[in-house]
Amino acid sequence: MERRPILSALGFLALPNAWLIAFFVLPMATMVLYSFWQVIDYNIVAEFTFRNYQRLTQDLYVTVFWRTMKISIYVTVISLLIGYPVAYYLARHVKRFRLTLLMLIILPLWTSYLVRTYAWMLLLGTNGVINKALLAVGIVDEPVSWLLYSDFAVTVALVHIYMPFLILPLYAVLEKLDASLFEASRDLGGGRLRTFLYVTLPLSLPGVVTGCIFVFIPAMGSFVTPELLGGTRSILIGSIIAQQFGVTYDYPFGSAIALFVMAIILAFAAVALRYGRPRGLR
Amino acid sequence: MSAYSNRRYDPVTILFAAWFWLVLAFLFAPLVVVVVFSFNDSEISMLPFKGFTLRWYEQMFANDDLRTSLVNSLIVSGFTVVISTSLGVSAAYGIHRYASGMRTILNSAAIMPIMVPRLILGIALLTFFNLFQAHLSLATVVFGHVVFTLPYVVLIVSARLVGFNPALEEAARDLGAGTFTVFWRIVLPLLRPAIVGGALLSFTLSFDEVVVTFFTTGTDNTLPMMIWSMLRFGITPEINAVATFTILISGLAAVTAELMIRRSQKAGAG
Repeated sequence: MERRPILSALGFLALPNAWLIAFFVLPMATMVLYSFWQVIDYNIVAEFTFRNYQRLTQDLYVTVFWRTMKISIYVTVISLLIGYPVAYYLARHVKRFRLTLLMLIILPLWTSYLVRTYAWMLLLGTNGVINKALLAVGIVDEPVSWLLYSDFAVTVALVHIYMPFLILPLYAVLEKLDASLFEASRDLGGGRLRTFLYVTLPLSLPGVVTGCIFVFIPAMGSFVTPELLGGTRSILIGSIIAQQFGVTYDYPFGSAIALFVMAIILAFAAVALRYGRPRGLR
Repeated sequence: MSAYSNRRYDPVTILFAAWFWLVLAFLFAPLVVVVVFSFNDSEISMLPFKGFTLRWYEQMFANDDLRTSLVNSLIVSGFTVVISTSLGVSAAYGIHRYASGMRTILNSAAIMPIMVPRLILGIALLTFFNLFQAHLSLATVVFGHVVFTLPYVVLIVSARLVGFNPALEEAARDLGAGTFTVFWRIVLPLLRPAIVGGALLSFTLSFDEVVVTFFTTGTDNTLPMMIWSMLRFGITPEINAVATFTILISGLAAVTAELMIRRSQKAGAG
């Protein structure tokens, strides 16, 4: 064995820890601190107040919060409905080229979310690709105006951007499931649907939960996508937070909103992890 | 296996396959549209296609602001890659070697930064820098970029270390190698595919990041920041060329990284 394992351990772990403490833990702590401070005459003053949190209950912010929650839940559920069959297909039906097909699914994840958001502007605009196609085919007589700058646009783009995050953990869980379980279920007379509902689905719950968390969190905190695709009709909380740091210079209030969003995210993750285990394995 | 092996032409399998390719089309179509429009000989990004041109690329390469921002982006991602890869490899090995009992806890702690939305990470850094009246520059951008790229390096390298044969390290130690010699001469070469994979992923993530950069940069613009500000003034065909350029860069990095990571996992399993 080594003579001084503690020194060596420090050698490997000290710097990464120091970096994360300096540029992650301390900044998050600073944000907590700021959320109790106030702005007086355009200056941030270190005087304790609850006012920032009280302001969160104003109608404007409550409305935007609900819209953000609603869209994030839609995005998560739609991603699950679209992504589950994909993960299932890859894990249980594909034998050859499985990793290559999986790679194709996660490849778009590595391109910029800004560029992917921008792409939806080209697709959904009044003169965008989709409207032109609908007009050409004759499904509509005039361009559909609610495609862009709407909840619809934000939801579609967020599903597009974050769905692969859901497929990945779900695939990992489904792929590890023992094939003999399905055979047992079929041998005992369970049809495809029953096997899925009583065997596959419960056993894949951990993957479903992880996947949903991976989609819900970035959706709740999204800023670029609603800013570019939401217009004035679909303002999400991310834009309100960003405003406090760019336009109104109210860091304390911005910090309070951000912490509230973090609280929702953590609550969601905690509940999902608590109830998302397969029955009987608790 | 009999019930599951011969299902290639089974209608359910065909339905699943159709769904898979449909989803894949949904994921790629928007990117294809951007690429196609970047070659469209028209002032507006609209159908129908007016003919092939390279002038948006010429315009892009002639644009000094874009060139400056590209250089800034490369500086930021370059430093981010070097720092987050060294710290990430070091952390993953430290956890693996000295704290394997707490591995699950430490690994989850290490991935905390990616569970926080980028917007919140960005403003947290801004308040932090504001508290100390720090001068915002490309350096402060790098500080932030390392935070959200580091966890990915730790994850990828840790996955490789799980399949690591401890006998290799012990043999080197028995032959008189010290801790850092073992790390440098034995561990690092064996980890190379995972390290390259992690580095390329860090590069892509940093090169494409706009939100954290937005809140932590001073007067310097990076390429995604340029796209962001161009979009605020309206859509020009030049944006299509710039966007295609970033798709190409991250696509190349992604494919190489993916192949490296896959190879490292294969080697780890063997």
